[in-house]
Amino acid sequence: MATTAEHFQGHAEDHGHDHDHKPAFFARWFMSTNHKDIGTMYLIFAIFAGVIGGAVSGIMRLELAEPGIQYLGFFSQLVGDDPSNFNATLHMWNVLITAHGLIMVFFMVMPAIIGGFGNWFVPLMIGAPDMAFPRMNNVSFWLTVAGFCSLMFSAFVPGGTGMGAGTGWTVYAPLSTSGSPGPAVDFGIFALHLAGAGSIMGAINFITTIFNMRAPGMTMHKMPLFVWSVLVTAFLLLLSLPVLAAAITMLLTDRNFGTTFFDASGGGDPVLYQHLFWFFGHPEVYIMILPGFGIISQIISTFSKKPVFGYLGMAYAMVAIGVVGFIVWAHHMYATGLSVNTKMYFTAATMVIAVPTGIKIFSWIATMWGGSIEFKSPMVWAIGFIFLFTVGGVTGVVLANGGVDDVLHDTYYVVAHFHYVLSLGAVTALFAGFYYWFPKMSGKMHSELLAHLHFWVFFVGVNMIFFPMHFLGLQGMPRRYPDYAEAFAYWNHFATVGYMIMAASMGIWFVNIIYAFAAGRKAEDNYWGEGATTLEWTLSSPPPYHQFETLPVIEETAHH
Amino acid sequence: MKSGTNASAVSQSVKALGISLASVLAVAATPAFAQDAASAPAAAATEAVAGSYTPMKPTPGVGMPVPEGIGLQDQYSKLGEYGAWIHNGVLLPIITVICLLVLALLIIVVLRYNRRANPVASKTSHNTLIEVIWTLVPVLILIGIAVPSIDLIAKQYKPAPKGALTIKVTGNQWFWTYGYPDNGDFEVVSNMLNPVTGPTINNGIRKVGSEPWDGPSHLEVDNRMVVPAGEPIRLQITASDVIHSFAVPSLWFKLDAVPGRINEKVLMIDKPGVYYGQCSELCGAKHGYMPIAVEALPRDKYNAWVMTHPGAKVDNPNAPAGSETDYLPGEEPAGAAPAADASAAPAAVEAE
Amino acid sequence: MAGTKHHDYHILPPDIAPLATTIGALTFTSGMVLFMHELPGGHFVPWLGMAILLASMFMWFSKIVKEAHAGDHTPVVQLHQRYGMILFIASEVMFFVGWFWAFFDFSLFPSELAEVVGGQWPPKAIEAVMDPFALPLLNTLILLCSGTTVTWAHHSLIHGDRDGLKKGLWATVLLGLLFTSIQAYEYMHAPFGFGGNTYSSAFYMATGFHGFHVIVGTIMLIVCLVRAYKGDFTPRQHFGFEAAAWYWHFVDVVWLFLFVAVYIWGGWGYPTH
Ligand code: HEA
Ligand code: HEA
Ligand code: CUA
Ligand SMILES: [Cu+2]
Repeated sequence: MATTAEHFQGHAEDHGHDHDHKPAFFARWFMSTNHKDIGTMYLIFAIFAGVIGGAVSGIMRLELAEPGIQYLGFFSQLVGDDPSNFNATLHMWNVLITAHGLIMVFFMVMPAIIGGFGNWFVPLMIGAPDMAFPRMNNVSFWLTVAGFCSLMFSAFVPGGTGMGAGTGWTVYAPLSTSGSPGPAVDFGIFALHLAGAGSIMGAINFITTIFNMRAPGMTMHKMPLFVWSVLVTAFLLLLSLPVLAAAITMLLTDRNFGTTFFDASGGGDPVLYQHLFWFFGHPEVYIMILPGFGIISQIISTFSKKPVFGYLGMAYAMVAIGVVGFIVWAHHMYATGLSVNTKMYFTAATMVIAVPTGIKIFSWIATMWGGSIEFKSPMVWAIGFIFLFTVGGVTGVVLANGGVDDVLHDTYYVVAHFHYVLSLGAVTALFAGFYYWFPKMSGKMHSELLAHLHFWVFFVGVNMIFFPMHFLGLQGMPRRYPDYAEAFAYWNHFATVGYMIMAASMGIWFVNIIYAFAAGRKAEDNYWGEGATTLEWTLSSPPPYHQFETLPVIEETAHH
Repeated sequence: MKSGTNASAVSQSVKALGISLASVLAVAATPAFAQDAASAPAAAATEAVAGSYTPMKPTPGVGMPVPEGIGLQDQYSKLGEYGAWIHNGVLLPIITVICLLVLALLIIVVLRYNRRANPVASKTSHNTLIEVIWTLVPVLILIGIAVPSIDLIAKQYKPAPKGALTIKVTGNQWFWTYGYPDNGDFEVVSNMLNPVTGPTINNGIRKVGSEPWDGPSHLEVDNRMVVPAGEPIRLQITASDVIHSFAVPSLWFKLDAVPGRINEKVLMIDKPGVYYGQCSELCGAKHGYMPIAVEALPRDKYNAWVMTHPGAKVDNPNAPAGSETDYLPGEEPAGAAPAADASAAPAAVEAE
Repeated sequence: MAGTKHHDYHILPPDIAPLATTIGALTFTSGMVLFMHELPGGHFVPWLGMAILLASMFMWFSKIVKEAHAGDHTPVVQLHQRYGMILFIASEVMFFVGWFWAFFDFSLFPSELAEVVGGQWPPKAIEAVMDPFALPLLNTLILLCSGTTVTWAHHSLIHGDRDGLKKGLWATVLLGLLFTSIQAYEYMHAPFGFGGNTYSSAFYMATGFHGFHVIVGTIMLIVCLVRAYKGDFTPRQHFGFEAAAWYWHFVDVVWLFLFVAVYIWGGWGYPTH
């Protein structure tokens, strides 16, 4: 961190006097223009979606526990499929993975990390009273909810072979066009339109807020790294989502109005869809992880009681990841028949990203080096993050090699890779952030014991789920399969056992939340102590309904 | 095949390296590689008379996943041996070391710089030298990876020699068809055999295990894609409805079957055997049930198989021997050997 | 409201417009699904959604205008609005990148396998393309001209010439409407239909989305015109006008790319009609 507590002038005025005239219930929660309330709604929504997405993955793990088809028929009946139609039963698998992928990506990680933590803490950290466009902030949230509703509708209407959209989260044409008649896929596409529109507006809001509403004296190079991370993320959203919007609009017109963008009989090109999708999709994966990087930086610095090592390098590494992230998309398409030069280019370009990411990993470690580390729960989650993300990142480098990806593409190796960076990376960062800031947001302390327990059980569980998937992938098990050859049974069973352990950890988490609200100690302003130096710690927990009514002034420092 | 034995000897040692590294990552011991890859496929004894064919019985563990396996399948093509070497000999060691390094640093930090061991935090936040190091060293490592990796890509794209046998592969919902334009243009329709238990997946198709030569459930098909071993084959891959992907892990082969496109790539299989693969692009309900079984036969037996089809003819009878010498995907890899030990370069790809 | 604020940011009271807008949007998209699949309600629900959407947006933007009059738009808030508009336009640019990407993919690599294309561009199925130097050129001139009239309006506004403002805006709006009408005429008389091949798809969707943006821009300018008559805008504060003008220029630039790439280059040497 470039800025430390001594240099901030916290404003005592914000404490103490009770001027929080909060609006009545409906106005407060349905008509909100308050960044903290909107952030809270995003978090609750993300937890809700996360539970659904996690439950769907539970159904998936259940089905995959043994070869053969055991439970799909039951679940396909739930959405109204004919149980005697075996293809509809199998289609259910594709519906489940599609829903799982989309929910986790668009309705869990993004709302939680950008909408939730971003909304709550970007204004607090830069010393702003709210976001630049409070009303637009609210529509961003509601559009996310609307997108989720649209996705839910899709599960209960015909999609082609059975009920629901079974296209995979990537919605590749022509499976998603001529391959899926029926309204389900249209609902799914509109879900992305709605959520995407919300995210674009959110991105505009964050960029404007960060550029224009920093407290006097807070230059760009004094911004906390979490703010930097949200800034870069917002640019990625702004520039990549519209391309997705165009791509899925083409899907829509191909499906319903006779265009042939991806229809080979009209000269269209299914691979074009993949280019457009991944031009968005690759930046999207960094959208999911960069704010996590930001959270980890705050936490590591707080509990090491040291400023972040190489602050500028950290900030510009994220910028570099963002920029390079736009020119590597076709590494998802090595098997589509790219030309030799294209394949070589994307191999080389993709590997470049390991360099700025490495800078981040090593700078976090260097931040801890020489520190006086306190192992409070957020710190434990953050250290876990560093290791787990590294494991996920290096398998990304393996996949980056076009010639090697030929054998790994669309196998469980890829599934292992992206769950290490997402379910063990982004989600771990989410929990780290959750424990770091929960008392600040709620005013109640959680149980540190339960938080540690949550970590360890989660850690064991998710590693058991996802580490063996590397083996399955190397052995050739393809992804998006509800059923598999006997040879793959052992590690699949193992992973399912891991899921149960992970599920138990979620139970611990919920108990902890209930404990905090029922019996948690009242949180002080700065409950983490001297290492916590950013502006949110100068405010009460929870902060006043409108904070910084007099802007804080960041003093000139001799720092770098 | 002489080179076959050579190759597998070397790939064996590469594999040994792979095993040791893999077991560093995972505590699990592995019977995966116990299978002797070099053991000759138990080819069904079939006379090479024109127009006769009995499907080959696959060798367990060859061309298919093995129970509890944790590494790449054994490779039966030159490119595969090279690719597997890049993975097991270069990438896996490097990423393992990086993970262990990060883990070690974390452990050191946790032990040395916890509050009890180090009550007063330093305020260091810069050290230009170390920052330059941790930027440049990864760059060098990546260059080291890129050299063989790019070389592998280049080799994958070597076009097929003139006169190479062409086979057309078409993905359909949910089966494969294989066309043999050079052999009188007959077509083979290939459906998965039904598993022994559970609902019928393909109507009118027998259950797996009902013939002595049947391979594993979920992988075996009624009519295999039969190809000659030891010679380059030009595969032209397309699809009739949605995207599928033709993938055979033990042959290091994966190429999407895209409607409206013909993707072409050379396949050359070291030795006779049955090699299994599965559709690798989501293609709808029965995506999980359209496996691929490639049966590589010696040229004469291949010809005999061809002649079992009405109207078939033997292709370009002089081609095989000639093309094997002027086409070797993955020639001369040694020059491309990366920073890692050059002697570990796959002798597998040394010609004969 | 909370205690006294000592800053120039705009803290808003709770507002129903965002939720209402969202309900409109979700109703519209769901209605479109019904419509596209010829399900019950397909001819009613989309319109309902559209109505809710437009009503809530009207409510929303009216509030912004009121707040502007109330003095809520301090210089820093106006700066926010500038940033917001520029960023919005940047995202729109990326949206068009998607359509141009499709267009160039099809035109540079025409499919060999599809009969309707036959490996050539424009595809076999297209017997004739539009003559770029007939109506499209006229439309280009119209749009360029409208770019100058909107600048005329802006200058007048800055110099306190209300009359010039109105005239400039009238001219721009009329030119915009003229453009849209010519475009509609052109669509009706195009020598090729909608869809069925890559040329038709890329052509109609790219120019169609541009046309849609022209309509949106025209509506923005009409709102400005109405506000000009009501006496809104001062030489120093008139961001609503500027936003519309920026948007208009953006639409203009997109057209230039369409004109050069799709109309001229994309049909070069092909029979015209
Ligand atoms: C948070 C999300 C996230 C993140 C951060 C990443 C990060 C990376 N990903 Fe991943 N990826 C996904 C999410 C993510 N990915 C998803 C969801 C998919 C599948 C999508 C689908 O098909 O459904 C995917 C798929 C995917 C593929 C396609 C695989 C296939 O389908 O065949 C590839 C190929 O190149 C790839 C590469 C990479 C690389 C090189 C990185 C790099 O950014 C990683 C960089 C990090 C490190 C390398 C570790 C730390 C660095 C050091 C300690 C320094 C030293 C290191 C070296 C010198 C190597 N990813
Ligand atoms: C962020 C993304 C994310 C996350 C978290 C997860 C989490 C999990 N995923 Fe998956 N997964 C994907 C993204 C994700 N996944 C994607 C994109 C695909 C590809 C889909 C496709 O092929 O199209 C996929 C596919 C996929 C498959 C492959 C299916 C197939 O190919 O056939 C499997 C199989 O086991 C699987 C399992 C799991 C499991 C057991 C978890 C468990 O870890 C789940 C446990 C739940 C959690 C860990 C989340 C808990 C979080 C909260 C409750 C919110 C917390 C909020 C705050 C703290 C504010 N996932
Ligand atoms: Cu065919 Cu998947
Ligand atoms: Cu990627």
